[in-house]
Amino acid sequence: MTPPLIGLLPFGLVCGVAAQALGTSVWGALGLSAIVFSGAAQIVAAQLLAAQAPIAVIVLTCFVVGLRLMMYSAAMAPHLKPLPRRWRNALAFLLTDQAFAAAIRRFRSSADARHGASYFLGTGVLLWTTWQASNLTGYWLGNVLPAAWSLDFVVPLCFLALLVPALEDRPTRIAALASGVAVIALDSLPMRLSVICAGLIGIAAGLAGERWRGR
Amino acid sequence: MTATLTLWIVIVAVGGLTYLSRLSFIALFARWDMPPFVARALRFVPAAMLTAIVVPAVALSGSGADPALAPEKLAAALLASLVAWRTRSPAATMVAGMAALWLLQWLLRAPAA
Repeated sequence: MTPPLIGLLPFGLVCGVAAQALGTSVWGALGLSAIVFSGAAQIVAAQLLAAQAPIAVIVLTCFVVGLRLMMYSAAMAPHLKPLPRRWRNALAFLLTDQAFAAAIRRFRSSADARHGASYFLGTGVLLWTTWQASNLTGYWLGNVLPAAWSLDFVVPLCFLALLVPALEDRPTRIAALASGVAVIALDSLPMRLSVICAGLIGIAAGLAGERWRGR
Repeated sequence: MTATLTLWIVIVAVGGLTYLSRLSFIALFARWDMPPFVARALRFVPAAMLTAIVVPAVALSGSGADPALAPEKLAAALLASLVAWRTRSPAATMVAGMAALWLLQWLLRAPAA
């Protein structure tokens, strides 16, 4: 549990700094981190808000960024099925990259769903609390942290740590390569539409690569 | 529309949709199986979307304020990718990437100072 928590602290800090840079109140920053509770979505939302993108573009881009949570949801579903619906709905809110990675191993190694679920609940609450604390710290330190530290670089690093293990076979690598080329080629598109377009192109390329290999 | 109102609309909409993504198959599993095409497409979401976020942040070094290509960021990210691949540890990836970036920035600035 400790390494994911440590990895989360600088990421939360940077999300808080990004919220502060928007010029929002502390309640806006806290709303973003407490309700959205997803570093990827928060950073993308902050960048697009700063770029004055239309609300529809912001919401759609964040939604596609968050689609990977559906994969986690599908993987968690059989383990949470024995629980009452109220608990399933509540635990779903705590589903993040880090909580998933920590809990799925526990679920697979234990036959008792309640055992895995209580571990997931504890991990999730701890991650949520830490996330709020680090976001608030970033919000208040936003003006103080020297730009020369390039702390915003932890955002791509955090995503790299998730991305590299996701490149598990040739189709996923094709998807990443296509997306990377597309996001640079489309950089001049307004409203950072390049991110969502490149993501969709990457998904299509991955599907095509899989079909081509399957022949 | 005020900036505050825009922000809260985004918070509620993105928060709601993110929650629905989290809940999706946890709620639906009892009644539905995931359509095979959706399952296949979802598999590529991390690789495609994370790349679309990482590549501009590393190679196109920000919008407006500092648009120049930053070779030290590119080099630090490549080193961090190697560490991520070998260790599978987010903390080690972050430490290696930041340390490499600071070292390269210091080395590149030293002659000018």
